Amino acid sequence: MPKIEVYRDALMRCIGRSMSDDELEELLPCAKAELDEPADAEGIMKIELNDTNRPDLWSTAGLARQLRTYLGGAVSDYPFFSRRGDPRDSADRRVVVDAALESIRPFLVGFAVTGRAIDEPMLKDIIQTQEKLTWNYGRKRKSISMGVYRTDLIEYPVLYRAVNPDTTTFQPLQSEEVMSMREMLSRHPKGVEFGAIVADFPRFPLLTDARGEVLSFPPVINSAHIGAVEVGDENLFIELTGIDMNSLLVTASIVACDLADTGFTILPVTVEYPYDTPYGRSLTAPYYFQERCSVELQEVQSLLGEGLSVGDVQAALERMGIAATVHDTTVTVDPPHVRNDFMHGVDVVEDVMIGRGMESFTPEMPRDFTVGRLSPVEAYSRRLKSVLVGAGFQEMIFNYLGSGRDYIERNYPESEWAEQYTRSIQIANPMSENYEFVRPSTIPSLLASEAVSGNAAYPHNMFEIGKIGLRDDRDVTGTGTFTALGMVSADTDAGFNEMNSYVSAILYYIGLDFELIEAEDGRFIPGRVAAVVPVGGGTEYGRFGELHPRVLEQWGIQMPMSAAEFLLERMMKDGR
Amino acid sequence: MPPMSFLADLKSLHPLEVKTLLTLSDGERFDVLYLSERLGFKAGQGNQAVSWLQSKGLLVEVERTTELLYERTELGAEYAQTGTPAQRVLDALRSQGPMTMPEIAAASGLPNRDVGSTYGRLSKEGSLSMGEGKRVEIARDGDPDAALTTLLARGDRAPLRGADLDPSELSVLQSVSKKRGAADAMFRVVERDHVLFELTAGGSSVRDELRSAGLTGEEIGQVTAEHLQRGSWKNASFRPYGVNAPTSRLIVGRRNAYCEYLDSVKDKLTSLGFEEFDGPLVETEFWNSDALFMPQFHSARDIHDVYYVKEPDHAREIEEPYLSNVAQTHENGWTTGSRGWGYAFDRDFTRRLILRSQGTVMSAKTLHTAKIPGKYFGVLRCFRYDQVDATHLSDFYQTEGIVLGEEVNLRNLLGLLRMFAEELAGATEVKYVPGYFPFTEPSVEVHIKHPVLGWFELGGSGIFRPEVTRPMGIDVPVLAWGLGIDRMALMHLGLNDLRDLFSGDLESVRLRRRAG
Repeated sequence: MPKIEVYRDALMRCIGRSMSDDELEELLPCAKAELDEPADAEGIMKIELNDTNRPDLWSTAGLARQLRTYLGGAVSDYPFFSRRGDPRDSADRRVVVDAALESIRPFLVGFAVTGRAIDEPMLKDIIQTQEKLTWNYGRKRKSISMGVYRTDLIEYPVLYRAVNPDTTTFQPLQSEEVMSMREMLSRHPKGVEFGAIVADFPRFPLLTDARGEVLSFPPVINSAHIGAVEVGDENLFIELTGIDMNSLLVTASIVACDLADTGFTILPVTVEYPYDTPYGRSLTAPYYFQERCSVELQEVQSLLGEGLSVGDVQAALERMGIAATVHDTTVTVDPPHVRNDFMHGVDVVEDVMIGRGMESFTPEMPRDFTVGRLSPVEAYSRRLKSVLVGAGFQEMIFNYLGSGRDYIERNYPESEWAEQYTRSIQIANPMSENYEFVRPSTIPSLLASEAVSGNAAYPHNMFEIGKIGLRDDRDVTGTGTFTALGMVSADTDAGFNEMNSYVSAILYYIGLDFELIEAEDGRFIPGRVAAVVPVGGGTEYGRFGELHPRVLEQWGIQMPMSAAEFLLERMMKDGR
Repeated sequence: MPPMSFLADLKSLHPLEVKTLLTLSDGERFDVLYLSERLGFKAGQGNQAVSWLQSKGLLVEVERTTELLYERTELGAEYAQTGTPAQRVLDALRSQGPMTMPEIAAASGLPNRDVGSTYGRLSKEGSLSMGEGKRVEIARDGDPDAALTTLLARGDRAPLRGADLDPSELSVLQSVSKKRGAADAMFRVVERDHVLFELTAGGSSVRDELRSAGLTGEEIGQVTAEHLQRGSWKNASFRPYGVNAPTSRLIVGRRNAYCEYLDSVKDKLTSLGFEEFDGPLVETEFWNSDALFMPQFHSARDIHDVYYVKEPDHAREIEEPYLSNVAQTHENGWTTGSRGWGYAFDRDFTRRLILRSQGTVMSAKTLHTAKIPGKYFGVLRCFRYDQVDATHLSDFYQTEGIVLGEEVNLRNLLGLLRMFAEELAGATEVKYVPGYFPFTEPSVEVHIKHPVLGWFELGGSGIFRPEVTRPMGIDVPVLAWGLGIDRMALMHLGLNDLRDLFSGDLESVRLRRRAG
């Protein structure tokens, strides 16, 4: 979720009135925003925005626009938008696109601004908006990147070209030297950060003006000359490139409306494509592309649980800055220029909710009667736990991720590692080797616990009922999650016989008839491990035995130990 | 320490102490050995009684002298059995006549070195001389080690006290004793303190109180089966115990405090009419995110946000018609009334296996088998791509649920949230604010004022988007909610580090209990 920094004064100026922090905090929820940190000595405060589909709120002007209309201010008019079949005049401001870009980074939209000198807070806000929009909404520049330039240095038409990265050179921003575009990928910090987006293409995107002067290498870095905007600049050219036209257009609209709200005049720019785009081969931006969205009044009423009138709905939407028309019982909205989050009628319902204010809805319990119950495995677990506690065992609970060393190598002889690894669920992209496997058994968790508990008074009788994960071809995922009961006992007289007594008692009280058969298991001393199977044979419920001193040595444990593990889903099938 | 003067304090005296006090007269000086002789104390009991009484100020040390003890070594024990080297050399010569040194060694079983040194000593004393052909012969017969033999024999019972020996015995003993590293000597010299005690004034008065109370130290402590079988308790009295005496620790079987807290949450939810659901740790991208209408290019679905399973890496298939329904919903909205995300749904990617990253998965997965009306919940382990620290875990529990009903609505959602706030968290105030989740619209967050923790966000909720419910064949509204209960769990257990919830430290787990 994006967090933005805004000058408190600038925000209040944009809202059109000043208010206390308390008032602001009351108001911010209408933008799904929270005051994260109040203003510091420089007057900068931090605000967190929770809606990742509302990038129009991620700037001072954008946030203020929502707060202003919510307080009853008029919805601004933005006359500079082109519409389908109705482009605004862009004079000579043209961008020409090279056909080769269709397969690299196909779309570009742009516009220019003029009319006032940019000051320090404004420049800071533009840079922040650019970063938030391209990082959070533009998926780290993959789908949207943005460049701002000094129009005075540009001769139209601007050319969006695909060029040879090894022979094309220019001086990038934040660097003292001229280098090739290929070199920038490894030698310029922005190249290192964002180069991967284009690195695999034979040609890289490049923006130049009509004379061939470089504007930028989208989506990586501006040039040090045309691309270096400073305080005092009055005329700016802004472009966005990317792979999804609607995201680009709405982002361009957000930036344009923000600048218009700040007092700039917006000058449309026309982009000419040699290939088709969703909006034709010639596209003049800012461009209003949004489609109307409708919802039945009855749906608004039933979802919100309030008998709202058409007038109530319209008034609520107006507070949100949304114009709505009504035909019969259908409410139709024209989404604001800066929003593209109306996918379904329910999205309109939410704005009605916010527009009316949460406090206007009286909480009420659902009237339906339903029967509550625990899941069968949870109910069974609880029966087991009460028997285990009575037998003197301490319940433990552990994390489910760990290392191959802990889950496998410390427990089995080396000759069995490969087989055990094949049974286990490994993470392809672990954060560290300490969290690389889903545990295949509860016993390693209990042994890890014993290994750090040598100072606790003995005997140590511990159990856990928790999930384990194993490969399992019977499931379509090739994996299975099982509920396991793990038990260990560490004491001077711990051993096979003692654990046998515990197991017999527990299975008696849980009502499971069983037989013991000798098992082979590298974790235990040969001849001191038993499989617990249904009477007359069948899939084992689990096994127990006396842990091999080799295992204890691996864990640094110096007390004899026995262990048991059962799978509850198998026990429940036959138990009573 | 002031002398004890209350009967209550007499109860804190051990029978050994009682017997010791009662046997002593005022001003009588005694040592521990004396107690063993008088009272028949076993080894150690006298020392215990004296040290306890001393620490209570009832006995005082009045004299301490250091005495030398001569302890027979293993070598000494051997010589006591086989004779000293000198005795063995003489025995051999007596029985076999004059011999060379190697012959003596062979005959006596002594090493050459010992034969040589023994000859050196005895020839100096005039007992042996060197005869013809380097043969050793007896010059003057007799036992040169008679005194030593007696001492070796006496050393068998107990160490010899220097003070008990006459000067000639002492000089013999000193010639065969060493202080340290005495393996090649017959005796080891040990220094030992000999201590004399006497009753303090307090000790005398406690003794008198014992007498007047009629206590003997023979009162019954632990009642035994034998007392009951023989009826011997009938003529005896019972030793009163000090009720504040420290007790020994009991190691009991116990539930884990965190698990009990989770159980209390589950119990509360079932009491409110919710049925529990559960599911696998390994999920597909389909159920984890696609079914929740999160677009496949969503930034929260990056490789750095979820754990991918290495092998197998994909599920064999996704159940129909859910796969097709969801795919079309993403692409163009299908019949949900949505415009969809407008991209080509990737049917390979959707089979990708990952570790469940959010509990809402199970809410979505439960939909197509859910009863209407129905209420469901789960406390589910989820995995998060985070560095593990005090506030982040690799895996942790999320508490999630849904409510299905023909007529459920936003006001019911608020009602439900208020009930959770009051019943589960004991909230004193509840505040609702609009929220954002990709799978609910409208979305609401609930913030609560907790009596201890103050204001915090208890959970997120909303009404499932039709893009989530319709593909699962559900046409009624579905309220979905998730609660963050970890902060309350920490508070209940008196902890402030999430890692401690899953601690393997047995001692701290044993001691843990609800803090509030």
